[in-house]
Amino acid sequence: MIENSHLLPYARRSDFKVARANELTGKDRRFFRFLEIVPGVAAWSTIIGIVLASIYTPFIAAYFIIAFSIYWVLKTIFLSYHVRYNWKRLKHHMELDWEAMVQRFSYDKYYHLVIFPFYKEPIEVLEQTIQGVLASKYDAQKLIVVVAAEARAGAEAEAVSRSLEEKYGDSFGHFLVTIHPDNIEGEIAGKGSNVHWALQQVKKQVIDVQNIPYKNILTSVFDIDTVIYPDYFNCLIWFFMTVENPYKSCFQPVPLFTNNLWQASALSRVMAMSSTFWQMIMQERPEKAATFSSHSVSFQALYEIGYGQANVVSEDSRIFWNLMIANDGNFEVVSMSYPVAMDATTAPTFWGTIANIYRQHRRWTYGVENWCYIVYHFTKNKSIPLKKRWSVALLQGEGYWSLVTNPIMLFILGWAPIFLGTREFHETVLSYELPIMVRNLLIVAMFGLVVSAVISLSLTPPRPDGHSRFRYIVMMLQWIMVPVTMVVFSAIPGLDAQTRLMFGRYMGFWVTPKERIN
Amino acid sequence: MTHEPQIQILPQKHRSIFFWVLVVIFLITLPSLIFYTTGYRLSFENEETSIVTTGGMYVTTDNLEVDVYLDEEQVERPRLFRSAYYIQNISAGQHRIVVQSPGYQTWVKELPVDPRVVTEASAFNLPELAQIRPITLYETATGTSVYFSTKIVDKVLAQATSTEAFYYSTSTATTTLQINSEFLFVESLFGTTSTSTQSVFSKLIEEVGKFGFATATPANAPSSSFTTTVERTLRGDMELFDEAGELYAKWLGSSAAIPYYFCISDLPVASTSQRYGEHVAVAVEAARVSTSTPLLIDNNRVCRTQVKLNRLRQDVFYYHFFPNSSDLVLMQLQDGIYVTEIDDRAWQNTQLLYPGTDIQTIVENDVIYIKDGEYYFQIATEIETN
Repeated sequence: MIENSHLLPYARRSDFKVARANELTGKDRRFFRFLEIVPGVAAWSTIIGIVLASIYTPFIAAYFIIAFSIYWVLKTIFLSYHVRYNWKRLKHHMELDWEAMVQRFSYDKYYHLVIFPFYKEPIEVLEQTIQGVLASKYDAQKLIVVVAAEARAGAEAEAVSRSLEEKYGDSFGHFLVTIHPDNIEGEIAGKGSNVHWALQQVKKQVIDVQNIPYKNILTSVFDIDTVIYPDYFNCLIWFFMTVENPYKSCFQPVPLFTNNLWQASALSRVMAMSSTFWQMIMQERPEKAATFSSHSVSFQALYEIGYGQANVVSEDSRIFWNLMIANDGNFEVVSMSYPVAMDATTAPTFWGTIANIYRQHRRWTYGVENWCYIVYHFTKNKSIPLKKRWSVALLQGEGYWSLVTNPIMLFILGWAPIFLGTREFHETVLSYELPIMVRNLLIVAMFGLVVSAVISLSLTPPRPDGHSRFRYIVMMLQWIMVPVTMVVFSAIPGLDAQTRLMFGRYMGFWVTPKERIN
Repeated sequence: MTHEPQIQILPQKHRSIFFWVLVVIFLITLPSLIFYTTGYRLSFENEETSIVTTGGMYVTTDNLEVDVYLDEEQVERPRLFRSAYYIQNISAGQHRIVVQSPGYQTWVKELPVDPRVVTEASAFNLPELAQIRPITLYETATGTSVYFSTKIVDKVLAQATSTEAFYYSTSTATTTLQINSEFLFVESLFGTTSTSTQSVFSKLIEEVGKFGFATATPANAPSSSFTTTVERTLRGDMELFDEAGELYAKWLGSSAAIPYYFCISDLPVASTSQRYGEHVAVAVEAARVSTSTPLLIDNNRVCRTQVKLNRLRQDVFYYHFFPNSSDLVLMQLQDGIYVTEIDDRAWQNTQLLYPGTDIQTIVENDVIYIKDGEYYFQIATEIETN
């Protein structure tokens, strides 16, 4: 029998880390399957509903589209307000001397456990990442660095890990290479299962051996392209020491996808910065926030839920929902408003870039599997306040629904009554005014892009030699692509992901290639 | 500058206030914009504020350089889609729309505008002086048409301009020239070439005989053209035919796809006469009792399926759809070639394309070929697909 006395009571349930309906039986299985179907049905119903309304009740469809366009303008203003606030906070935090600020605390006892899961990324990506940790303003002897390789990546990946261990092993307090075995039953190949394995190995091989209290370890799980800013660990300590419930908190930095921004195409840059902005908005909207990509949490919290979840695609957010549900709702995301630098998604060719961005966003939007998970457990864990269960379920559900439907409604279906409406509709002033009104409202909404363009330039790394100043103009103008990118790289991959889940065609983890393009 | 982190995220109070301000803006804006887009406007006339309902007009043109006037006031040119004018904020009632451009003939229509409804119209403006492309038997090595006399200037170019250069040869020698195959083709169309060529284009030549109801004939009209049978020309679901000395356009397609100009509001005869002209009122009433061309009644509108074309009280020697259009008809009348619109609301605009009495016309593959005396040429049209 697996020893689980260290787990929180709710985390001891056999279905605590359920990923799919087919892992359950009976009524639970049917309910979970129903939840898997709901997002796809909601999205498709909305899209088909607008098409049908445009055909049979074009006047109502037109009124709805006007209402939706106004809503979109106001939503843009609302979100721009959040971005701008977070941008000010981010810039301010980047200017602070966190090393000096944490001196007031007694933090010598705290270790930073940093896990870098990787697959087949080139060694220069790993080197840049490790050197970023090495350059941090924190006592390196208090750093436990884990390079988590995959056995399925072959001997070359292990060789890369070992070469890093040889080169940097003595530079840190502890340096561990873990090799995640292939084909462990109940797991899906990917970052989640790799991290889950690495956490167990580092506990066994380092933490328990060194007898380090779990409460004294702050765990940061970073994507392999994550280059931390020098004060990241000090900043993290500062937040850890000052938040109300440090062991009931995840700490979320702002991912800036800027490592290769000057080498990336305009399309990659727009998508990268859009993702950054979304995370900046989330930093100011704690009621909607969950962990994303690189983030930190105490080892104690992870230990209490049995580490991560090895059978899901969107493991970065799932870890927060695991923690929140196991802690009866008493777990929160603390927004650090401090950056970590990551890679914009690229490929050697234009079409390769498009394919990679699409696949990456489909994987991200497959995070809708988390909605099934949280709603399922909200019906089970009655210790979580009812209001919180309802608000989280509705907010998250609305988020996944709007992600998929809003861009399509706005940029495609907004014109449907004009093309599909009845003869009576086509003769009306409303039919002629509708496209003009929608166009004007979208132009107003586009002013939000000006905010985006200005902020993105301020977050852009210094121009490297060999790159023209003209590129700055391109970086401003690139934002006009947003209406297209929202449909092609948000709505459609989101719809793709939700449709797959709806039909039970579960996705696996697709590893985003990390390359350095010169 | 503070040296403490700005730890507080955006305060909930600020967010709530901002959120509710936006909600209020939404609640105010939504009904306002719905009223606006359905045609309601605030009126400040006579120092009184009132709400009025307006309609609109949608006018398409075939010429991007035209000026459009509504009731003597020029309409601003659209920045995009410059061949279409959507005119907003028009009060209910009769309105005169004028489409004109220097060097082009003027199109005028007087149409009713109803509240919350857009009235459609399609304007066309032919050049005042037709533009022709000469087609000669001989051409130079570079393809330039060759004339052996300057009579062309008096005969054709007195009433047209040329879109292409041509060359007067002072010598009758043709050794340095080459035969223009297009000339042979066009000549065969008009039935003056060898028998073998005629057989290839015999079907087309029969088309020339469509002016069967003519009572007078241009001097060089083919003798085979006189026939008493009803000739029909089809483009899409639109048919042209002549019957009892009159020329008609008939819609053969579904009622859902019928062109707008066949349809009017279903109103008493007097109102219809006032809004669209007496001829339309008479035609609608006739259609109400007709079994061959019945009136299509659809909610608040009635649609005729047949419209009589304005032949300017002249005999028609040839007719065909104007190139690339099913809304315009080309007619060869006694004193020249005209283009008329099928839309007979208010009146049918009819414009002279090329004057002349000693001419023959053929439309082949949406190209207008003219034979004027001994000269063959093509008439250039700027009119695009409607």
